Amino acid sequence: MYEVTSVKEVKVCLLGESGVGKSSIVLRFVSDTFKQGLEMTIGASFMTKTLVVDQQTVKFQIWDTAGQERYRALAPMYYRGASAAIIVYDVTKRDTFDAVKGWVRELANYGPKDIIIALAGNKSDLEDLREVTKKEAAQYAEQIQAIFIETSAKNDSGIKELFTRIISRLPADFSGKPKDGHQNAKKLHEKEEKKGKCC
Amino acid sequence: MAADVHQQIMPLERKFSLQDSPRSPTVLPWDRFSNWLHCACVVTFDLELGQAMELVYPGHVKLTEREKINICYLSFPDSNSGCMGDTKFHFRIRQCPGRKNHILAHDDFNRECPASLQIDNAYYYGYVYFRQTKDKSIRRGYFQKSLVLVSKLPFIPLLEHMVEIMAPEYFDNGEPSLEAACHDIDQWPEPTPGETLNLPLMGSVVQVRIPSRSDKVIGAVQTKTHTVPQIPVNHVLQSIHETDLFSAFQPVLQHLQLMWELVLTGEPVVVMASSPTLCANAVQALVSIIWPLKYCSDYRPYFTIHDSEFKEYTTKTQAPPAVILGVTNPFFAKTLQHWPNIVRIGETSGDASPRAVLKLKKSSSLKTLDSKPGVYTRYKPYLSKDKTILKRLSKGIQLKRPVEVQSAMLRRFLLELTQSFMIPLERYMASLMPLQRNISPHKGPPVLKPFNVEEFLKTLDHSGPQLTSGLKGDWIGLYRKFFKCPNFDGWYHFRQKEVNQKLQALHLEALCKEDLVNWVRDKQEVEIVDLVLRLKDKMISAQNNDIPVSMDIVKKLKCHLHSIISSLPEDLQSVLKTHL
Repeated sequence: MYEVTSVKEVKVCLLGESGVGKSSIVLRFVSDTFKQGLEMTIGASFMTKTLVVDQQTVKFQIWDTAGQERYRALAPMYYRGASAAIIVYDVTKRDTFDAVKGWVRELANYGPKDIIIALAGNKSDLEDLREVTKKEAAQYAEQIQAIFIETSAKNDSGIKELFTRIISRLPADFSGKPKDGHQNAKKLHEKEEKKGKCC
Repeated sequence: MAADVHQQIMPLERKFSLQDSPRSPTVLPWDRFSNWLHCACVVTFDLELGQAMELVYPGHVKLTEREKINICYLSFPDSNSGCMGDTKFHFRIRQCPGRKNHILAHDDFNRECPASLQIDNAYYYGYVYFRQTKDKSIRRGYFQKSLVLVSKLPFIPLLEHMVEIMAPEYFDNGEPSLEAACHDIDQWPEPTPGETLNLPLMGSVVQVRIPSRSDKVIGAVQTKTHTVPQIPVNHVLQSIHETDLFSAFQPVLQHLQLMWELVLTGEPVVVMASSPTLCANAVQALVSIIWPLKYCSDYRPYFTIHDSEFKEYTTKTQAPPAVILGVTNPFFAKTLQHWPNIVRIGETSGDASPRAVLKLKKSSSLKTLDSKPGVYTRYKPYLSKDKTILKRLSKGIQLKRPVEVQSAMLRRFLLELTQSFMIPLERYMASLMPLQRNISPHKGPPVLKPFNVEEFLKTLDHSGPQLTSGLKGDWIGLYRKFFKCPNFDGWYHFRQKEVNQKLQALHLEALCKEDLVNWVRDKQEVEIVDLVLRLKDKMISAQNNDIPVSMDIVKKLKCHLHSIISSLPEDLQSVLKTHL
């Protein structure tokens, strides 16, 4: 019972134009389901998910932001303090890929230092309608040193890999906290203080 | 091990995700929101209208005209106190009567929470974040606006934390940010006593623990949550209801016990301060000075001349009402001159030097708000002062001890004082309980013996406050004064209700254990019908949660009832069954 595994707690936010499938990616990742025509996100949705990779437990705190223009100015709240940002575009809509550059610029200027950027080309199942080639996106990602992957929330393709690749990019010393099932209140408190000091 | 972790997290995901598990059909949009907030309001300054309501969110929420006017006036600093920049405070208003917006989660909360945290349906709190900055583009030359969170919940630190996150975002980004925040709140779990909750709000997660009636009172200051956080938490609130007592009282610390007596015995008190923040904090500190005892009269952390209760509370034609008011407008120094107890809080200056001992002054000598900090009263304390706590606190000031620690010391001292006062009462109350052997299934449930003041006072000789408190003085006089005030009534009725429920439950259990079918065999029909009707009543009470018994007992009772009814003649059976 006293087995100690290290737990990483990771805040991730999803950014990108309206309708590219941010919420669908999260829904697939968190509860392995897919729904056509999800309702529009208001502000942002919050979900959590725990992944265990190579004996390593990672708790994702996922902020799925709304793509609509009216919520654009709120984005800083969600990438503030985030370890990773997933910028999503729709491979069948050229303009959603062009918009990625705006997000990359914003993160570079105002985002947390060392934020991991992942580029996700969603709706890869719609090969016939493709407007953005895999090659072009991969080149761009390499240029900005981002993770790149094409995903299909509908077919469950690339979603888990997207998150595991984020895990592999986390620095080795990243706030890995000892997990103890009998952790008492005092320890919790101390942890908070430590957190305060390093930030 | 890994699998365990996974399972632990599941209920949480379900609670927080919208799409993942569709809401149960009984949970509608905004239902969860209204467990926490009634609405958010934006109050602005209009050159022609003065303070005006610019926005109520969500739009379908209803406020009466009177409530709107009260919110508008209470959301701005009252006097021109030059509150430049951002100001945070809270107020409390009466809800206009006759409106039905009863919230089930609040009933559940009230059943399990500490008595002094119970939601009072007749009142709203307003948690205000006011911003005033120079702005040449506006005709008045100033930007002046408030975001107000209107809620029934007395969770001051939590709601202040929320408005502190939401307001600056709103002032920068407008309505979409309010939408986003309210949408987050609409995903929150219910405020269930005893639970540790993770509450996502605008990109961060705040962790709180909702206090429960079964929490230990002594030692609660140190007790923190035992639940391991299940998700990354950005902010842990140490308490959702405890405010910083030390800072609030610092200018009048010398009169700590005097203030404790004033609040305990329900004396009218007015707090005068130079800013809404100072007076709201002081009033809130006064109300909680007798924790865990509930302060049962009205209190207004911030009260203005525009308040709809202004006339009622300031009239000179009758004695001042037993309420606590917080005011900042110098006008009140004159209007409330006749009040017997005035607490004057000065600006808390940064310097930590202990203030000179302040003499009690005649309230009539108080003319303006510029008078020195102090307590102006003719009230003579019943108990002698505990100098040790004052010395320890002033030592703390010299040592620059953190205010949290000072507050905790103060809280501890007050808690012990209140407990010393209450323990004899609790003990006497317990002696009024009927004996277990008097609970008979064949009689009605026994009732609590009546409270007899003189009998109680006799118990003080051998088991009075002297057992737990070293303070000398006229304890009996203090008790007599206490018995005349609403705090005693409130406490007594709460205990009475609790005990009667317990007795009802015990009686019900006794009924269940009894072989009733056998008992009715040789009884008259009238007696049996009487029993059936009584059992039915009990079952209804139990099902409505008025009697704390398990569903198992209710089921057994139902069984008994059916067997008894089936033993009756058929015509009677059908009559009784239709009423079941």
